[in-house]
Amino acid sequence: MDSARMDLTGRLMADMDPSLLEFLQSTIDSFVKWDLVRFFHENPYTTDTADNIARYTGRSVEAIRNDLAELARSDVLDEEQLGDMTVYSLTRDASTRDLLAKFAAASDDRQFRVKAIYHIIRGAR
Amino acid sequence: MKRVKTGTPGLDDMLMGGFLPETANLVEGAPGTGKSTLGMQFVYHGIVAHGEPGIILTFEEFPQQYYRDAASFGWDFPKLEREGQLRVVMTSPEVSKVGLEQVGGRIERLVREIGARRILVDSLSHFERMSVQPASLRRIAYGFVNSLKREGLTAVLTRESMALLGDADGADDALAFMVDSYCLLRYVEIESAVRRAILVLKMRGSDHDKGIRQFEITSRGLEVHAPFEGREGIMSGSPRRMVDSFVQAFVQR
Repeated sequence: MDSARMDLTGRLMADMDPSLLEFLQSTIDSFVKWDLVRFFHENPYTTDTADNIARYTGRSVEAIRNDLAELARSDVLDEEQLGDMTVYSLTRDASTRDLLAKFAAASDDRQFRVKAIYHIIRGAR
Repeated sequence: MKRVKTGTPGLDDMLMGGFLPETANLVEGAPGTGKSTLGMQFVYHGIVAHGEPGIILTFEEFPQQYYRDAASFGWDFPKLEREGQLRVVMTSPEVSKVGLEQVGGRIERLVREIGARRILVDSLSHFERMSVQPASLRRIAYGFVNSLKREGLTAVLTRESMALLGDADGADDALAFMVDSYCLLRYVEIESAVRRAILVLKMRGSDHDKGIRQFEITSRGLEVHAPFEGREGIMSGSPRRMVDSFVQAFVQR
């Protein structure tokens, strides 16, 4: 059963752009992270606290706090201490921003979305 | 005297050429009167006509909304961002305040990174959630306005007025004393049609047009036209023809 599933995964991911596959496998392991990455890509000069980003993305702060911190550890976001506030913004690194743009563009394709969703669901098991 | 042109036809005439450099300029009006459009036009005009990069600091609307609104006037904001001439920054009043107070904070870095000279802050009304104490709010707003000036920015600050027609509600007018100029945008009802009116209430260090003028939001942005003529009580929202007022005051007695 496991090998059958691996085969399916392998076949599904085989034709995916290697850089996007690597990004999915290393960074996007939840739908919240996907939403956050898309949000920061669309609003690239946002700088705010977890509470406010939760409000902007229509989630609770508990639902996004850990994922924000993990995206910061993955160098997708910058985490900064501003007085007693921890604020997040999109990395200024141009190559990461380009990768996010590529990911966002690919996400508009239904086939890519299906594959990415399958990857996240499989990872969540 | 050097002026910072707003790019809104007619408004620069009312301001005797434009805002004064490195000043804070309050634009107040009800929802939909055109505050944000006036501010976007100010920033856009600075970039394309004067080579002055700009920042839009938004506390509520998503940057995507500004991109869409700007596109409807033919202003390509994403292109200007790619060229490093514009930044549409979404943040909260709390973060922007602390960010401006700190040496080398994020907004200060942005200003230096693109050489920004103009800023739209949309809107100052959101500062009201930072304190319930009027004195504390005034202190916060005063510090914020001064930090924008310190960065050499000429600022358009919007403030919401909840009154759709007529006199504004009881907003804390300490802000009106704090800023260098104060423009009011109002809806007025004339012969069963709603029109828009603009008035420059105050301009520190300069003369200005005291008239109340009509303006429109066209496919090119805001355009200020001629003063309302033969009417009085414009800012009440329901102007009367002057001849009617004369009859009421003298003939019908």
